[in-house]
Amino acid sequence: MKTIDRNQLNELKSSGKHRIDIRLGKVPIEVNGEKHVMVCGGTACHACKSEPVRDTIKREVQARGLSQRCKVIETGNDAFGTLAPVMVVYPEGIYYVHLTPDDVTDIVSKHLIDGKPVERLFYRDPSNGKSIPRMMDIPYFSHQRLVTLRNLTLIDPENIDDAIARDAYQGAAKALIDMAAEEIINQIKISGLRGRGGAGFPTGMKWEFAAQAKGDSKYVLCNADEGDPGAFMDRSVLEADPHAVLEGMIIAAKAINARQGYIYCRAEYPLAIRRLNRAIEQARRYGLLGRDILGSGFDFDVEIYQGAGAFVCGEETALMTSIEGKRGMPRPRPPFPAQEGLWKKPTILNNVETLANVAQIILQGGAWYASIGTERSKGTKVFALSGKVNNSGLVEVPMGMPLKDIVYGIGGGIPGDKRFKAVQLGGPSGGCIPSELLDTITDYEAITGTGAIMGSGGMVVMDEDNCMVDIARFFMEFCQEESCGKCTPCREGTKRMLEILTKITEGRGEIADLTALEELAEMVKDSALCGLGQTAPNPVLSTLRYFRHEYEDHILEHRCEAGVCPDLVKTKCSNACPLGQEVPGYISLVAEERFEEAIRLIRQTNPMPGVLGRVCNHPCMDVCVRQQTDEAINIPKIKRFAADMAREKGITVPLERAREKEEKIAIIGGGPSGLGAAYYLSLMGYKPTIFEELPKLGGMLRYGIPAYRLPRDVLDEEINCIINTSVTVRTGVRVGREISIEELRRDFDAVFIGIGAHKSQIMGIPGEDIDGVYGGAEFLRQVELGNAPDIGKKVAVIGGGNVAIDVARTCRRMGADVTILYRREQKDMPASTEEIEDAIAEGIDIETLMMPESINKANGRTIITLHRCEPGEYDKGGRRMPVPIPGALVREEYNTIFAAIGQASDTSFTEDLDLKRGWIVVDRLTLATNLDNVYAGGDAVTGPAMAVDALAAGKRAALSIDRALSAKSGERPHKEEHDKIFLTMKVPGETVKQDMARAPKISPQERIKDSREVEIGFDTKTVKGECGRCLRCDVTIE
Amino acid sequence: MKEITEEMWKEIDSVVQRYKGKPGALIPVLQECQNVCGYLPMEVQERISKGLNIPGSFIYGVVTFYSFFTMVPKGRHTVKVCLGTACYVRGGKANLDYLQDEFEVEVGGTTRDLRFSLDSVRCLGACGMAPAMVVDDNTYAQVSRKNIMEILDGYE
Repeated sequence: MKTIDRNQLNELKSSGKHRIDIRLGKVPIEVNGEKHVMVCGGTACHACKSEPVRDTIKREVQARGLSQRCKVIETGNDAFGTLAPVMVVYPEGIYYVHLTPDDVTDIVSKHLIDGKPVERLFYRDPSNGKSIPRMMDIPYFSHQRLVTLRNLTLIDPENIDDAIARDAYQGAAKALIDMAAEEIINQIKISGLRGRGGAGFPTGMKWEFAAQAKGDSKYVLCNADEGDPGAFMDRSVLEADPHAVLEGMIIAAKAINARQGYIYCRAEYPLAIRRLNRAIEQARRYGLLGRDILGSGFDFDVEIYQGAGAFVCGEETALMTSIEGKRGMPRPRPPFPAQEGLWKKPTILNNVETLANVAQIILQGGAWYASIGTERSKGTKVFALSGKVNNSGLVEVPMGMPLKDIVYGIGGGIPGDKRFKAVQLGGPSGGCIPSELLDTITDYEAITGTGAIMGSGGMVVMDEDNCMVDIARFFMEFCQEESCGKCTPCREGTKRMLEILTKITEGRGEIADLTALEELAEMVKDSALCGLGQTAPNPVLSTLRYFRHEYEDHILEHRCEAGVCPDLVKTKCSNACPLGQEVPGYISLVAEERFEEAIRLIRQTNPMPGVLGRVCNHPCMDVCVRQQTDEAINIPKIKRFAADMAREKGITVPLERAREKEEKIAIIGGGPSGLGAAYYLSLMGYKPTIFEELPKLGGMLRYGIPAYRLPRDVLDEEINCIINTSVTVRTGVRVGREISIEELRRDFDAVFIGIGAHKSQIMGIPGEDIDGVYGGAEFLRQVELGNAPDIGKKVAVIGGGNVAIDVARTCRRMGADVTILYRREQKDMPASTEEIEDAIAEGIDIETLMMPESINKANGRTIITLHRCEPGEYDKGGRRMPVPIPGALVREEYNTIFAAIGQASDTSFTEDLDLKRGWIVVDRLTLATNLDNVYAGGDAVTGPAMAVDALAAGKRAALSIDRALSAKSGERPHKEEHDKIFLTMKVPGETVKQDMARAPKISPQERIKDSREVEIGFDTKTVKGECGRCLRCDVTIE
Repeated sequence: MKEITEEMWKEIDSVVQRYKGKPGALIPVLQECQNVCGYLPMEVQERISKGLNIPGSFIYGVVTFYSFFTMVPKGRHTVKVCLGTACYVRGGKANLDYLQDEFEVEVGGTTRDLRFSLDSVRCLGACGMAPAMVVDDNTYAQVSRKNIMEILDGYE
C-alpha cells in the first residue's frame, strides 16, 4: 500500500466494481459463480455468538477448496431483533437467520456448492409464517431508506478497498481538489443537514461560523461518545463503515481550514475503536490522511481519543475539556466552540451520523439530500429501535415518516400481544410519546411539539407492563449520577428531583410533590449550564404531561398499575386485578383443600366468584410470572372451582354489615356496576335501592352473556347473595319513564348511574334499518326475555368483539348457519382468542377483510353488499386499516343480519350530564359526575369493558359516596377490614415445566344443541395440580 | 491490596515517557497505566504526577471524575450488567440484584476472592439483545436468571 493520487483512487474504485456488483446483485446468478458470504459482525452480533459461525464457515470454505470462488467477509451489524447471527449470500441476496455453527455445513454444501439456498434458514414473517428469502423483501428492511447506512452488508469494514469501491473518498477528492471552502459549506447549507447528535443545529451554519473565525489552528471533532442509553446508531456506523466518518471529517476540515481532527469515542465501544484504528491506519497508508492528500496540497490527520466513562463528555465543551486532559466539565458559552473550542482554537464538533452523510452530500449535491425529508428536517434519520418491540435494531427512514409506521410497520408491533404504552425518544434528554400521538412524524419540530426531542436516535418502546413513574425515576437517576457537579441547578436540582421521584415510587409521595417536581424541573431547564442539566427534566415533564394519572395513583392510592414498583405491588396478579383479589392466597388454600377458607378469602374482595370465574377476561393471567417458565396459571378456573365447591358443599360466607346508616342511595341499573355499588354500600350500612328497567337483575351478565357461558342458576345465586344484604330492588322501572332522575336526586342522598352500554352502534350504511337487520346486543336481550325473532337458516353477524361472537354462537344454537363478517384480519378481532376458537369449533365461519357497503331486500331475502379489503396503513393502535380493493364487491344473501360493531350508552333520561363522545364524564378517582351527589361507573363511563371492571367501579363509587356522605354527617368514613386467614407461607420446590391445565369443554356438536354450559369445571385432582404450579410470589424469604 | 510489581513500575514509566510533553495526555496515560496495574492507587498517581509534571491533586480530580478509573483493584473478571433503557425495561435490574445477592458484592465492588468485579453500565449499545451483560470483553445477550450463572461459571 502506498500513497495514491486521485487517478489511482479511481482505479482502485474501478477494480473493485465487480466485487461490489456481486453484492449489489448486478451479476447473473450461477451455480458455480462467485459468492460473497457477508457474516454480521457488530458488537451485538458477537454477543449472539456470530464469531463461531464466522470461524466455522471460513474453515469449511477453506476445507472444501472453495476459497477462490467464495469469499467470507465479516461486516458490521446487519441483524434486527433476535435474528443474529445472520449471513447474507450474494449475488442472490439470501438472508440467513438464527445461525449456529452446525447450520454452516448445509449452507456450504447446499447453497455454495449446489446452488440451492437452504429454505429452513430463511427469515419467516411472523404474521403469516411465510418465508422471505431476500433481505430487501423483508418488510423490516424494505421500509427503510439507507443513506447513512448505504453500505449495510456490502463492505468489509476492515478493508479500505471495499469502501473505496463504494465511492469512499470520492467526495473528499471533489472537496479537496474541485471545490472551494465556501462551495462546500454552501452545499451543506443547501442540503439542510442538521446535527444528528440531538440538538439539530444546521451543520452548514456551524461550519460557516468556524470557517469565518480567525486563526490558523482549527480542529474538527467527531463526537462518538454516544452515551444515551438505548442509542447504538453511532456504534453501528463506526463498526460497519468507519471510512464514511473519516471522509466526512476530511471534507469538514477543508471547509473550515483545519489540519487536525479528533474522534472522541467512548471506551465502552472496543470494537468500534479497533475498526476505527484500522481504518485510520489504512487511510494513512494510502495518504488519504496526512500530508498532501491525493495530491491536493491539503493536510489533515485524525487521532482517536478514548472516553473514560462520563456521559457528560458527550456534551460539546465537556468533550473538548476532556480531550485537554481535564475533568470533563462543560464551559459557559459564549465564547462558542466555533470561535474558541479545543485549546481555545476554533473548533467544530459533529456527531458520527452527521459526518457519515457529508460525503454523499458533496458527491450528489445538497439539493439531492434536501429532496428527502420534510421542509425543515431534511434527509434521513437513523433510529435505534429497542425495548418492547418485536423487531429491534437500526432503522433508517426519511424524515417525515410517522412514528406508528416505525413502531408497527418496521418494528413489528409489541411482543406477546401487550398494549403499547409509550415510545421514548431521545434517551435521558427526551420524552415519551403516548399512543394518541403516534401519528407524529419524524421531524425535529413536530417531535419537539409533543414535549419530546428527536435526540440522537434512541427509540425505546414501552408497554403496559412499564411504569412511567419508574421510567422517569430511572432517567433522573442516570442524569443525577452523570451530572458533573459544576453548576448548582443540575447538581442539586437533579438530586432533589430524584429524591421526590424515588419517594413516589416507594409509596411515600404527596400530591404537593408533583408541583415541587414541576417547579424544580422548569428551574433546572432554565438555568443549568449545559445540555445534560437542561434536558434532564424532560422525561419527568413529559411523563407528567401524558401519564399524570400514574403519578396520582402512586401518591393517592399507593397503586402502581403496571405492577413494577416493589413497595406498591405485593404480587403482579393481585395488582392487575381490578378487585385486588388475593390470588396466591386462595390458590394455596384450594391446594390444601381448605375450601371454606378459600371462598372466604375470595369473597373478601369479590362478591361474584362463580360468575367471574367463568367470564372474567383475567388481566391477572396476562401478568402471571409463571409464564416466563411455561404458561400462566389458570387463575379464573381455580376461582370457579372454589365457588362451585362452596355451592356444592353449601358453604356460605356470613357477611357482616356495619351499623345501619340513615342515608339512602339510588342505583340506576342492575348490572355488575350497580350490583357492586349496592353490595358495598349495603355492607357499609347504607340503604341502596336498585332501579332496573328489565324484569331481572344482571345487566349484561344476563342479557348479554348467553347461558352457555354463564348458567343462570350460578348468576341468580350470586345476585341473591348481594340483594340479601339488605338491598331494595325495583325491576321494570326505567329512569326517564316511570321515574325521573330529578325525583331520584330529590329523594335520595346520592345516585349511582350504572346503566351500561346496551344500544347497538349504527353502522352508517344504507339499509341497516330494514326488516331482517337487527342490533346484536338487542337480540341477545330478546333471547333472554324469550321473545327472539325468527332468524331463519342463514345468519350473518357483522363485528369482531365478544358480543358478535355471543350473537353468532347463540344463533348457531338456534339451528342457523352463521357467518361472521369482520372488516380487518382475524388477529385484530377484539374478542378473546378463546371465544373465537370456540366459535370456529362450533362451525361458525369467519370472513375477514370484508366491509359492509349496503343492505337491501330482494324476494324476501336480505342481501348484503360487501367490499373486499386489504390491510392498509397502521392506525395509532397498531392495527392496519382496511382499504377497500377497487371493484371487489361481493353480494351475500342471508335471512337475518346482525350489527354487532359496538354498543353505546343510552343517557336520554337526562340532558344535564356531561358526556364525552357519548360516555359519561366522571372524576377518575371519585367517579363523581358534574351533577352534585351523582356518580357513575361501568360501561356507561368507559365504553364496553370487562365485568370485573364494572364490579370494581361499583365498589369505588360506594367508597366514594361513603366518603362524601361521611364528610357531611361528620361520621368517620368506612375503613375496609378483613379477617386474617392464615396462609401457609411456603416457597414451592424446584420448578418443573408443566402446561397450564385447561378446563374441558363439551364437544362442539353436542353443545350447540342447546344452552347448557359449555365449559366443565376442574375436578379436585386437576385443580390441585394447577394450584401446585403457582410460584407463590406472595411469599418472601426473611 | 494488589501489589505494584517492578515490571509494572517500568511499564508506567515508559508510558509516561511516551506521552510526556503531549498536551492533554493525562487521560490516555491513566488509561494505559490502569491497563497495566488493574487500578490506580495513590502511589501510581504520584508517579505519574512526577513524570508528567502535573499536580497530584489535579490527577486525583481526574481519576475520581471518570467512572472508568478505579482506585481499588478489580477482580480477575469484570462483570458489567447493562442498565440502559432497553435492558432496564427487559429486566436488567433483576439480573443485577441477583448477582449482588449471589456474590455478596455491592455494585462497584469486588468479590472477596478477587474473582469478580461487579458493575452496572449505562448501555452497551446492544439494545436489540436486551438484557445484556459484559464479562471481560465478551458481550452476552438476553441474560436472565436461567442462564446467568452458567455464563459466569466459565470464568475462573
